[in-house]
Amino acid sequence: MSTTTEELQREQRRRGVPTTRRTAVYVYQAPLRVWHWVNALSITILAITGWFIANPPPSMPGEASDHFLMGYIRFFHFAAAYIFAVGFLFRLYWAFAGNSYSHQLFTLPFWRRSFWRELWHEVRWYAFLEPEPRKYYGHNPLAHLFMVVIITVGGLVMLVTGFALYSEQTGLGSWQDQLFGWVIPFVGQSQDVRIWHHWGMWVIVVFVMLHVYTAIREDVMSRQSLISTMISGWRMFKDDRP
Amino acid sequence: MTVTATPNGFDLDNGGRRVVVDPVTRIEGHMRCEVNLDENNVIRNAVSTGTMWRGLEVILKGRDPRDAWAFTERICGVCTGTHALTSVRAVEDALGIDIPENANSIRNIMQLTLQAHDHLVHFYHLHALDWVDVISALSADPKATSELAQSISDWPLSSPGYFRDIQTRLKRFVESGQLGPFMNGYWGNPAYKLPPEANLMAVTHYLEALDFQKEIVKIHTVYGGKNPHPNWLVGGMPCAINIDGVGAVGAVNMERLNLVSSIIDRTIEFIDRVYIPDLLAIASFYKDWNYGGGLSSTSVLSYGDIPDHANDNSAANLMLPRGAIINGDLSKIHEVDLRDPEQIQEFVDHAWFRYDDETKGLHPWDGVTEPNYVLGPNAKGTSTRIEAVDEGAKYSWIKAPRWRGHAMEVGPLARYIIGYAQGNPEFKEPVDKLLTDLDLPLPALFSTLGRTAARGLEASWAAHKMRYFQDKLMANIKAGDTATANIDKWEPRTWPKRAKGVGTSEAPRGALGHWIVIEKGRIDNYQAVVPTTWNGSPRDPAGNIGAFEAALLNTPVAKADEPLEILRTLHSFDPCLACSTH
Amino acid sequence: MPTTETFYEVMRRQGITRRSFIKFCSLTATALGLAPSFAGRIAHAMETKPRTPVLWLHGLECTCCSESFIRSAHPLVSDVVLSMISLDYDDLIMASAGHQAEAILEEITHKYKGNYILAVEGNPPLNQEGMSCIIGGRPFLEQLQEVAADAKAIISWGSCASWGCVQAARPNPTRATPVHEVIRDKPIIKVPGCPPIAEVMTGVLTYMLTFERIPDLDRQGRPKMFYGQRIHDKCYRRPHFDAGQFVEDWDDEGARKGYCLYKVGCKGPTTYNACSTVRWNNGVSFPIQSGHGCIGCSEDGFWDKGSFYQHTTDTHVFGVEANADKVGLGAVGVVGAAIGAHAAYSAIHRAKLKQNGDETTPAATNEGDKQ
Ligand code: HEM
Ligand code: HEM
Ligand code: NFV
Ligand code: SF4
Ligand code: SF4
Ligand code: F3S
Ligand SMILES: [Mg+2]
Repeated sequence: MSTTTEELQREQRRRGVPTTRRTAVYVYQAPLRVWHWVNALSITILAITGWFIANPPPSMPGEASDHFLMGYIRFFHFAAAYIFAVGFLFRLYWAFAGNSYSHQLFTLPFWRRSFWRELWHEVRWYAFLEPEPRKYYGHNPLAHLFMVVIITVGGLVMLVTGFALYSEQTGLGSWQDQLFGWVIPFVGQSQDVRIWHHWGMWVIVVFVMLHVYTAIREDVMSRQSLISTMISGWRMFKDDRP
Repeated sequence: MTVTATPNGFDLDNGGRRVVVDPVTRIEGHMRCEVNLDENNVIRNAVSTGTMWRGLEVILKGRDPRDAWAFTERICGVCTGTHALTSVRAVEDALGIDIPENANSIRNIMQLTLQAHDHLVHFYHLHALDWVDVISALSADPKATSELAQSISDWPLSSPGYFRDIQTRLKRFVESGQLGPFMNGYWGNPAYKLPPEANLMAVTHYLEALDFQKEIVKIHTVYGGKNPHPNWLVGGMPCAINIDGVGAVGAVNMERLNLVSSIIDRTIEFIDRVYIPDLLAIASFYKDWNYGGGLSSTSVLSYGDIPDHANDNSAANLMLPRGAIINGDLSKIHEVDLRDPEQIQEFVDHAWFRYDDETKGLHPWDGVTEPNYVLGPNAKGTSTRIEAVDEGAKYSWIKAPRWRGHAMEVGPLARYIIGYAQGNPEFKEPVDKLLTDLDLPLPALFSTLGRTAARGLEASWAAHKMRYFQDKLMANIKAGDTATANIDKWEPRTWPKRAKGVGTSEAPRGALGHWIVIEKGRIDNYQAVVPTTWNGSPRDPAGNIGAFEAALLNTPVAKADEPLEILRTLHSFDPCLACSTH
Repeated sequence: MPTTETFYEVMRRQGITRRSFIKFCSLTATALGLAPSFAGRIAHAMETKPRTPVLWLHGLECTCCSESFIRSAHPLVSDVVLSMISLDYDDLIMASAGHQAEAILEEITHKYKGNYILAVEGNPPLNQEGMSCIIGGRPFLEQLQEVAADAKAIISWGSCASWGCVQAARPNPTRATPVHEVIRDKPIIKVPGCPPIAEVMTGVLTYMLTFERIPDLDRQGRPKMFYGQRIHDKCYRRPHFDAGQFVEDWDDEGARKGYCLYKVGCKGPTTYNACSTVRWNNGVSFPIQSGHGCIGCSEDGFWDKGSFYQHTTDTHVFGVEANADKVGLGAVGVVGAAIGAHAAYSAIHRAKLKQNGDETTPAATNEGDKQ
């Protein structure tokens, strides 16, 4: 099946691939940027505290009443979890309230062939098989896919399993139980939920490593700004070619 | 009608009337028994079928050997803990792990607690109704009952008023028309021989024992956290000891030791002042009923157990005897080597399993467990509606273990016979005393009643040995040793790539062995050969019959449609079917 | 007319006064949401009603649920069996056997149609034509279905009946199946545990007899009153958990001080049971109190959740076994290294391109592509 140039261009326009000369576009509005950094912080705290929940530090000396180490670790986990959860809800709201780039996190042009083609291009770029990447106002397709799968779907899994675990301590009948208690028998039993929640951490940790790496690398090597975009909101392009 | 002589000396005649008992009740698990009665209602052929199988040996494959105790413990909740003990021993044997002295003492106390408890519950709640007619107790004279009770024991609960209260309660229970567990019993069967007063006394103690047994097991609760199914640990015991340090209340401390100690005292008292006198009293009315000897007079086996000191499995260190007697030659006690591929083998040609070559037996290290449910050509009914099994083919979920080709009886009687034959006074003296008290000759021991009596003697022995080990534990703690676990080889990385081990114990019902093969930190093969596997064994390729079947032969049955005598003899083994098939 | 010892009489015999009996009845009325006038009726019913027949069937099991049951201290099991229920069938303790035993089921299920309780210990296997558990020459499944047909309610004793338990552990060679998966049209009360605590068993049973209703159940069909919270929620070692004080190795300092067993695999945080409150054997102890972690014995499929001695247990999916932390740390290592290598190569690649002055060519290629 062949695609005409016109079709391609139309599609590219739709996808937000710049075809004309622009040096800067306002992409990430302030609330989204704030969300990004708050979210990043909360996930970092969640992963660190989560690790220590599963693998507590060496035993504390002295009396139990003198310490509350696990209590604090868990407290920070739950505090961060609430921030993460509220952030998630806010981000969902912002997908409607924000500009056109703000829905990307919740939509995936799964059936669009060009998406996969460009995604493949991006993969080849990382594999040093393409001389340069394309330009995007929003996320490049590869990043987009990962964001949706890991942050949206993965985040939802972490939320649902996390609150299901949380419902175990808030007790039968609590809102956590009413909203998320079903998850436990759905997944199997409590230990299963815990372990899937635990696996989720590793998935997210690996994503974050790649995300941060690619953000820095692309900031240096791609044709557009990345990190500063997440700070100022403006996407700057380094060349005038489409 | 054909008469066959088995290689182990029994004549089988499967003509006459075939009587089926299924379910056999008051046992652990599920069992079926078929017998052929001749015209005089004498049993001439006996077929015992294990009617359940769960596949624990299959399930254990690929698991962490340190977890195995918990799985195998669930083989049985009646002899709870004994499989767990045997399992940790097998793993420790394979990996060369030594356990601390305290762990040995605690394990022994737990094993002995089980012996005492299990025997007591068996006697009163699983076996007594074979000898005791509950309904007859209603016509007893409470005053005469009291006199009887006081003449045999100084147990304080023995006033006429006490027996009258129980009798009244029983009466109202019976009159309610809702007989509960006593419904459809064989009350009034001529095989019951006790006078009403003895029946009332026994029923009273049935209830007392029911209330008391729950106290004994609290020892498991202290050291193992619960009963049934207390916790164990490869390398020792999970209960740490702390006598004077900060946090002592979080471990085995003085209060816990005192609790165990007091329970031991009460257990000794109950067994010696209620169980043993009842046993003697009941036996004295059944002296003439000397059936059910089976294999006991020819082939008995024991692996030995209750190591005095830790990590020494030599016969001299084991307080329960080890050895095998065959051909009825009590003068020769054979060495038993559980690692020798020629000695212990399991056959499946009559069991619902598959081997490549079913004419041969397999040593448990090479054991195979693969189900194969098929009935023989002479079975009656259909595969899901069995009217009669075909004992010429596969007919049981129990494998047939053999020691050097011999079918063996195991259990308290086997242990007492071997101990007696060794001249060990701990076993010989009580047996001689029992026989003198009942005015019976030694051969009377080889019978249903002998089996039941040996169990009682052993319950008492076990209770006293609990005291010995509790004292030993205290002395060791006093000497400054509070270790309960050895963790040197806890981590799988410290293990060899491949290792084989065998763990044994003397479970309440007899010799128990677990064989394990560990490969790369996981269980490669796990085989259990269990007391009731021995006793309830089906036939083997040579035609030897097992202990249950042998014991039933030649017993007259008073009423062909009331299997009282069959139950009596089967119960004397305390069959555990969940154990036997696992 | 024969006299039955009624519930009231049992209570009286156990030292409960008439006054507290009446009070108990009015409390019952309130609990049931009935007008106070109903208290009299309840009292009357209690004083007169015959004992409820209980048919206790055994499938594939280890009998330790029965063993646990007879350990009940309050009420004493002798009182339960003689005075509270009519235990008409239980092949563990019943006097009769064979045909006479089977006849009891026939009789009770007819005579008390819809009015008896079916208690199941163990479960039916479905493989081997169901004949890896044979009762009376037939598959246990048939007996179970027949007796269930006219039962008022079913109690699934223990983890076997509730979930499948050890015989249902991978690869479940007999396809042992929990009761609720073969009986779907009856109220089923699951009382899991391997075994359940004695006083929990008699507690559930006497609750049903006393209040004449099924206890409040949670999503999975367990009575909330005993299974509503985890071991961890009421564990007396919890202060050590919160403080971060753990048994690191068996028999270490922490073990002797009674620290938390989390690091040696305690499943208290993921196990719903009453052990840390009711405790075992009339309150003497419970697994954790005696130094071993909870193994999660009342949870669905606890045998297949990985080692009893690890907190982060292995996951078993699609026949592959893996440990989250091992895989996770491994993945972080590999990805970290890959990032490093990729970064390094990226730098070299870029330097090379710069050197060749090739920086503009890609655009041309790109242009070319578009034509
Ligand atoms: C836990 C850590 C982090 C998480 C979970 C995370 C998550 C995300 C998400 C979900 C987006 C998409 C925003 C949207 O469209 O709604 C995003 C974008 C972005 N993040 Fe992060 N982030 C993390 C850390 C970082 C760090 C440390 C940096 C900088 C070094 C960074 C730089 C960026 C950049 C540059 C973008 C824009 C990507 C683009 O334009 O395609 N992030 N991040
Ligand atoms: C990115 C998000 C998250 C990460 C990476 C994360 C990570 C973890 C990890 C690794 C554990 C330890 C699991 C184990 O014991 O093996 C844990 C436990 C837990 N998490 Fe999260 N979690 C996240 C989000 C959440 C959320 C949104 C909640 C909601 C309240 C939550 C609630 C919990 C709870 C209740 C526990 C169990 C704590 C305990 O009982 O001690 N988590 N988490
Ligand atoms: N047979 C048997 Fe057991 C015993 N005693 C175990 O090894 O009963 Ni359940
Ligand atoms: S639930 Fe556990 S304890 Fe109860 S019968 Fe099953 S295996 Fe035994
Ligand atoms: S011992 Fe187990 S149940 Fe108790 S606090 Fe620790 S983890 Fe929780
Ligand atoms: S192992 Fe079972 S007995 Fe209780 S403490 Fe855990 S649920
Ligand atoms: Mg075996």
